[in-house]
Amino acid sequence: MRLLSWPLVTQLLLAPLVVASARASEYNDYSENLLLKSLPGNSILASFRFVSNGTFDSHHSVFPRSLAQILQQSQTKELHLKFTLGRWDAEQWGRQVWDGRTAGGTGVELWAWVEAADDSEADARWTTLNNALSGLFCASLNFIDSTRTIRPVMSFQPAGHHSPERLERLHLLHGTLPREPVCTENLTPFLKLLPCKGKAGISSLLDGHRLFDAQWQSMSIDVMPVCEENGKCQLQMEQTVDMVLDVERSMGKKDSLVPKPPPIEQLSCDQDKPYAGGDSCFPLSGVTDLSWSLSEMFGRPIRGSCPLAVVPTEEATHVCVNIAEQRAIFVSQGSEERKKSPELRCFVLHGRGPNFVIENLDFDIVLPELSPSTNILLTPPPVYASRSLTGHGQERGGIQAVLNNPSSNSTVEFVYLESLPWFMKPYLHTLSVTVSGKDDGNVVQDIYYRPALDRKRGTQLEVRLRVPPGETVLLNYEFDKAVLRYTEYPPDANRGFDIAPAIISILDPTSQKSTFSIRTTSLLLSLPTPDFSMPYNVIILTSTVMALAFGSIFNILVRRFVGADEVIGGGLVSKIRGHIIAFVTERRRAGGNKPKTE
Amino acid sequence: MIITASLRSTRILKLLPLVSALCILVGVTWLLLLPLDDYSRRTYISENALLPGQVHTYFGGSEQDVFRSYRHEVTALGKNASADGSGVMAAKIGGIFDAFGLKVGKQKFEYIAAGGVYAGENVYAVLQAPRGDATEALVLCAAWVNTEGELNESGVALVLALARYLKRWSLWSKDIIFLITSDSRAGPQAWVDSYHDLHAPPAVASLPLKSGAIQGVVVVDYPTSRGFESLHIVYDGINGQLPNLDLINTAVRIASGQMAIRTMLQEMWSHDNQYRDRLRTMLRGMVNQGLGHASGPHSSFIPYHIDAITLQAYGDGWHDEVTLGRTVESLFRSLNNLLEHFHQSFFFYLLMAERRFVSIGTYLPSAMLIAVNFTIAAIGLWLKSGRLDAGEEENKGGDGKVSEGKEKLLGPAGEAPSAAADAVSEERPLLLAMAFVVAIHFLGFIPLYLFNNLDEKNFTSAFYIFALLNVVLPSVLCAIFTKSSTPTRLHFALIKCFSLLLLGMFLSALATLNFSLSFLIGVFASPITFINPTPERKWTVGAAWMTLLQGLTPTTALVGVAYYWGEPLSEILKEAAFGWRVWGMWTQVVVWCVWWPAWIIAGVLVAGSWAVEA
Repeated sequence: MRLLSWPLVTQLLLAPLVVASARASEYNDYSENLLLKSLPGNSILASFRFVSNGTFDSHHSVFPRSLAQILQQSQTKELHLKFTLGRWDAEQWGRQVWDGRTAGGTGVELWAWVEAADDSEADARWTTLNNALSGLFCASLNFIDSTRTIRPVMSFQPAGHHSPERLERLHLLHGTLPREPVCTENLTPFLKLLPCKGKAGISSLLDGHRLFDAQWQSMSIDVMPVCEENGKCQLQMEQTVDMVLDVERSMGKKDSLVPKPPPIEQLSCDQDKPYAGGDSCFPLSGVTDLSWSLSEMFGRPIRGSCPLAVVPTEEATHVCVNIAEQRAIFVSQGSEERKKSPELRCFVLHGRGPNFVIENLDFDIVLPELSPSTNILLTPPPVYASRSLTGHGQERGGIQAVLNNPSSNSTVEFVYLESLPWFMKPYLHTLSVTVSGKDDGNVVQDIYYRPALDRKRGTQLEVRLRVPPGETVLLNYEFDKAVLRYTEYPPDANRGFDIAPAIISILDPTSQKSTFSIRTTSLLLSLPTPDFSMPYNVIILTSTVMALAFGSIFNILVRRFVGADEVIGGGLVSKIRGHIIAFVTERRRAGGNKPKTE
Repeated sequence: MIITASLRSTRILKLLPLVSALCILVGVTWLLLLPLDDYSRRTYISENALLPGQVHTYFGGSEQDVFRSYRHEVTALGKNASADGSGVMAAKIGGIFDAFGLKVGKQKFEYIAAGGVYAGENVYAVLQAPRGDATEALVLCAAWVNTEGELNESGVALVLALARYLKRWSLWSKDIIFLITSDSRAGPQAWVDSYHDLHAPPAVASLPLKSGAIQGVVVVDYPTSRGFESLHIVYDGINGQLPNLDLINTAVRIASGQMAIRTMLQEMWSHDNQYRDRLRTMLRGMVNQGLGHASGPHSSFIPYHIDAITLQAYGDGWHDEVTLGRTVESLFRSLNNLLEHFHQSFFFYLLMAERRFVSIGTYLPSAMLIAVNFTIAAIGLWLKSGRLDAGEEENKGGDGKVSEGKEKLLGPAGEAPSAAADAVSEERPLLLAMAFVVAIHFLGFIPLYLFNNLDEKNFTSAFYIFALLNVVLPSVLCAIFTKSSTPTRLHFALIKCFSLLLLGMFLSALATLNFSLSFLIGVFASPITFINPTPERKWTVGAAWMTLLQGLTPTTALVGVAYYWGEPLSEILKEAAFGWRVWGMWTQVVVWCVWWPAWIIAGVLVAGSWAVEA
């Protein structure tokens, strides 16, 4: 008990000091905030954002030293690391927060700008970076080898400030692990990078059980240099955790984990049906906004504010709730409300009691139930994207991407990036882009294609497309499936191979820079798979042994060694006779000609 | 070389017909032995992840009231709501799915086969797995109208009620697609084709909504509102492909073990698990497999390497929709556990009771032996055809012994031994024989085209005309052949040789793909081996042969199938044409391009024994 509470106590004691020193050094600051947004279908988007600034040389008060050292070692100037689970349902939830910058594809996605003189040096540093990050985040990042690495040309632009001379020496490398299951072991190191390490402030809400029960969740780390106009630069690390929680499921957990059928009295039945009243009940679909509270959704309330965070100003607040105007909201003590708009209510946690004594009060938000359901207006994403495999069989297949521009008046331009494994061999001549069933030459603006090399590198395909308003573009291509060596199959070979999500980067029409990014879901590709079962292995092994034995015995039995001058033909009997004669003459000669094979 | 040489020099050649007969006998006996305890095995769950029946099921209670209301809705719409072009079924069902918060898709389709139009609209909803990433999916399906043409009122209502219930669980690792097809034959095919983007627009519409790779399909067929007595598991796929045995085992185990419902296969409504019933189950399974037609809505999924079964409620009993619902719930919990695609258990098997089967290793030899009998006979004929002259000499001059003796004397001495061998082997007139065999095989495309493209109204008359033609065709062909190119006995021997060689090759290859079809055709065609093309037959023998052959034509078999099912001939032909157009069924190709040519050639040989003079 003492051990557990000790760090907290020291933290609390030292807090004013640390805050003071952090404020003294203008490059070492930290801020955090949480956005809660209600989504249709009784879902809540919780978006945590932690920003720490620091430099390589200063003492590491808020910027984690472990990460800084890795970046320095590998000469990485800008780093983006994403851990994502589930899928973002754009049709229901609209566009992603932070313009999709913080969300990666399913699994782990990493891209970085590495400073190096040439490609090989960049590769070496990239490997160093992956291995170090793999250790730091307990993820299989070390498996991002050359086959999973691509160098995107059009899709990504550095977000940080880099001098033009340095930009020339920067190499962009991008790797994905679509199969990596993101789990608690990745969350713990993630939280350790935070100054308050999940003990206080909004990060205290981050509990593995709740985070990984979310419908969709994404953890991201973005590190980039940020320079002011006077030329002073600092390193900024932005950590975000976004998740979509199902209110019904999260709140239901407290009663029973099993969704047993409710008693018939609790069902609201449609009484207008002709059969109503008897033993039939047509359930009414009246959706209500369920009540929820932070402490029930996350299993605990916010444990005060993080003392290391900068004092929030008028703009920067700790917790914001984006809900319909009609919904009531109740908050606990120790906070101050700042209404930014009718639908956006923000709170500052000062963690101080009535007498300005730091008490580290728990903070909770409670929203009561409201019927009928209210919705805040959702903006659609710039593009709706879905991707699926087509065809069947073990030999070849195809991929179809459906890209829809929901806008009624503006054309959208974007880059569609695919990073395919080497054992999937696409044919570029089969690439077809159709708009409303017709081929349209104006849709494809540009194609960058780097073919795969077996076991060395994967395919990289970047297509710049322009989709007219309200149109749906079908992008199709076909591919061959390679046959792998048997050692190249994973232990669960029959599951199939995960294909990394396609990345769609919406471009700004004027600057041609990426302003929004969307990921499709990953795909499961089944390759021709040998039967790895035990009976199969026994059969092939015994067959091989039998074939060997039979072959050699057959050879010995059938093949006859005779002198070249004794070759005779004819039937079996005559051959045997000839064999005997040859044998006898061989004996008589005792030496003589060397035998030759028939 | 040595073996051929020894065959020439020994009298095995004379034994070859006996070997062929033995092959057929052993092949058939082999099959008949399979239902015995010593040759078949008890089924077992091979995939450990499935854990059938290990979970509690909670479907029931107020869900039953909801189910009843949905059944009222389905009954109110009526049987014709799905295919009358109004889209009222899709709209209504789509609305119910939508109320659960599921994503709904609809698909219109229209097929034209044998002059008939098969149109309708499928509706489906996707339950996206919470935390899932859309890589894998399961399908729970019910056809609006079942294979018997009845309104599947409880089946559809059960899918709706289960969709509502299963959505509340958070444990799904795969998406679940709830699919209501407008019929049992064309609807599922249209849907699964479009899911893999292999459909033909605009007749079959694309799917607006897709999920991941489908790992398993369960179809519910419960066309009454009464209780049922037992569960009939239908598993045959198109072209005789079968779902993984683990899926059937899981269903059997859950139904009979957890839910105490009797399960049945192949319409064997009573089964005492003794030899006779096992054999009958197996043979019924073989007929279904051999015909290669769709036995239920699940059949269309199987060619896509998606394992699928249909659960049919049968009889009147005390089991109700809750029991069936719980069975499906438990089955889906098991399927949800799958980490890999179904692969552990057998894909090639014959079931003879719900818990007894034989695998391909055990049953394959029987079809192979029958196929091999043709090959052996063909090799025998080939060797014999080379010796014909020697044999003739033997017959004519009676100096065969002298020449044989000569050979014996010459051989060991080493004086031109190959000349002795060559003396017996004669130049074979290959071209004519080959051309004839190939031509007859190509002739098979005519009935294939005819019966797949005719209008259904003309089927019966066309069939009778064809059957009549078929009776006289061998004799006519033979007459034309003998008149045009004066063939000798050797030609006939070679024609038979090539025909049997092709038949043996096709059937042994087919045995690995569709065992039952290969076996059945092999048995029907087995007399062809023993037709002797030598003309020294009495016409009575020839006539007897002809009668036997006429009894074993593909057309007779077709009549037999119609009789077996108790359906009119035109229905069978319609089904075949529909299967060809919609399902991609290959049975007719085998019948018209493998079996029928072999039969025609056999008929020509018999007729030839009258026509050709020695």
